[in-house]
Amino acid sequence: MAVLSEEPKRIVREEDGRFRVNRGGYFDRDVFERERRDLFGRTWLFVAHQSEVPEAGDYVTRRLGADPVIVVRDEKGDINVLGNTCRHRGVGLCRSDRGNASHFRCSYHGWTYANTGDLVGVTAVSEMYGPGFDKSRFPLYRAPQVDTFCGLIFATWSADAPPLMEYLGDAAWYLEAICGSFDDGLETLGAPIRTLVNTNWKAETENLGGDGYHTPVTHQSAFVLGMFAGPDDWQRMGTVVAKSYKGRVVDCGNGHTFRVHQLPVATLRPAFFGYPQKLWPEITRNLDPGQIDVQARLSVFHGNIFPNFTIIDNFKTDTEGKGSATRYIRITQQYPIAPNVNEMLWWGLVPRGVDPLWREQSQRAWLRTVGPAGLFQIDDNENYVSFASGHSGSELADEEIVLEGGLDNAIATDVNWRGKVYDADKSEQTMRAFWREWSRYVEGGQRESNGSAR
Amino acid sequence: MTGATIPRRATLRPFATAEVRHEIREFLDQEAEMIDDRRFGEWLSIVAADFTYRMPVPVTPDNPATPHYDARAFIIDENRGTLAEHWFRRYESDMWEIAWAENPPVRYRHFITNVRVRETEIEDTFDVRSNVIVTGTRQSDQPTPLYVERFDTIARQDDGWVLRARFVVPESTVIDFAQLRVVL
Repeated sequence: MAVLSEEPKRIVREEDGRFRVNRGGYFDRDVFERERRDLFGRTWLFVAHQSEVPEAGDYVTRRLGADPVIVVRDEKGDINVLGNTCRHRGVGLCRSDRGNASHFRCSYHGWTYANTGDLVGVTAVSEMYGPGFDKSRFPLYRAPQVDTFCGLIFATWSADAPPLMEYLGDAAWYLEAICGSFDDGLETLGAPIRTLVNTNWKAETENLGGDGYHTPVTHQSAFVLGMFAGPDDWQRMGTVVAKSYKGRVVDCGNGHTFRVHQLPVATLRPAFFGYPQKLWPEITRNLDPGQIDVQARLSVFHGNIFPNFTIIDNFKTDTEGKGSATRYIRITQQYPIAPNVNEMLWWGLVPRGVDPLWREQSQRAWLRTVGPAGLFQIDDNENYVSFASGHSGSELADEEIVLEGGLDNAIATDVNWRGKVYDADKSEQTMRAFWREWSRYVEGGQRESNGSAR
Repeated sequence: MTGATIPRRATLRPFATAEVRHEIREFLDQEAEMIDDRRFGEWLSIVAADFTYRMPVPVTPDNPATPHYDARAFIIDENRGTLAEHWFRRYESDMWEIAWAENPPVRYRHFITNVRVRETEIEDTFDVRSNVIVTGTRQSDQPTPLYVERFDTIARQDDGWVLRARFVVPESTVIDFAQLRVVL
């Protein structure tokens, strides 16, 4: 841990109807170190999808905050998030990205751990340590709290963090509307894609958290190329009830935010365009009326679970050529490597056991739009990367960005959804919610629990 | 999905004749030139109608005998039509104002080596395996290299050679590259 300055610069400034964020909030080294300690050491963080570790012994290697961990299902079926570092001399235990193992044996001196984290074998133990060596003193370091919701496995380094469901709050209702729609849940399409992008990790989370303002500008080419359903498509889907899409942004508290963008069509029964029609009854059965209203006639749903887990559920047209239409779900996790270097993990999710041809089509849809080479993503990336290079100086690096869009947004009164739902598609409510929560962790008075997580 | 054969390393069929190897080597160099020059119309004319371009997700597996990628998960999965309509279309002059990532365009350069041409069960169709570096240079940034192993299916037709499928496996599990939207 680097030495932190005693008088940190103030990043979030909210006063008299103004909302500004000092650019150091993204690219200042001191701020970055504070984030590592005060944010990533204390919040819940996504680590894996349940379908990646379905059987006893299945594991994947990930990071929890900055630290390498093994996410492993033990013989009892419990999921453990273990520090990928031997208690003896600190060597990494597991070098592959995924696999199946009942035990992890260190390559240096052979200390061996069960997949529960318990130390079960020490080489030449009596010769080395004498009689009575107590192996129970040295289990692997572990995340003190691990929990799963709708197939999403989260963990935290903090023993003091509230339980996951309390942490998610109203956001759980929205996650369930996406990930809890199907009888057998969702599964990943396979191993996550991993990329490095030269920008701050918050560039992606702010955008996915609810930026409907950038869509017609950054993604104008996608409209031209037919990837948004237009009036002709709406006619075929139902009764057209408005001239354009309807969008709302949602602040769920605790920094979790969403944007829900819906097709301007009315249908006799709830319609989940893009999903195979034979799955529609499952969706209706598994969700409550408010959640069905979120899912039905969905154009795009996207959001951020504070601090660094994004989800997007998207209805897209023409990804397979003219006239095609499908849904996809993409989730990402941001690992801050440096103030201006972000490692991103990307997964596609599909209903478990879905028809293989639909599965492939859904995979292609997300890759072609928001995959690393996708039409939307490359234009987003250009924004993210030039945002970082725009802050390489010194005079302007200390100036502020402006997050004052939609200060007067009204609460939506026409839907029965959870959280604070704003009747606005273009708004910066979601970014303000993110930064307020960020400030509470990084700049706030909650420093008492920044000691050992264990 | 037709035309895409996921290569099986264990099945090493005989090498093609020197004449075929020479012609395919020339074909690969010319094909790369068309991509690097952004002569996409010409490139499409030497690509089969059922062409697929796929890149699987690289992983470090726990079993050293298995390939270092996930055969079910992809990073890129495109075909001739989507490359033409969604990728190359964005370089056309009426899109310059809105195709933000292509203006200014990333500069790409192919370096192709270790080209091995093997016969297949189909006459005049060849498995072509090569090691490829592509550098991508974004604006004032320094060039970034991407190291890949490439598996092509190339066939001889009446009017010349045609690229039928390309399967590209990145060497690194964490992709650090200027802009991945390129035919490697």
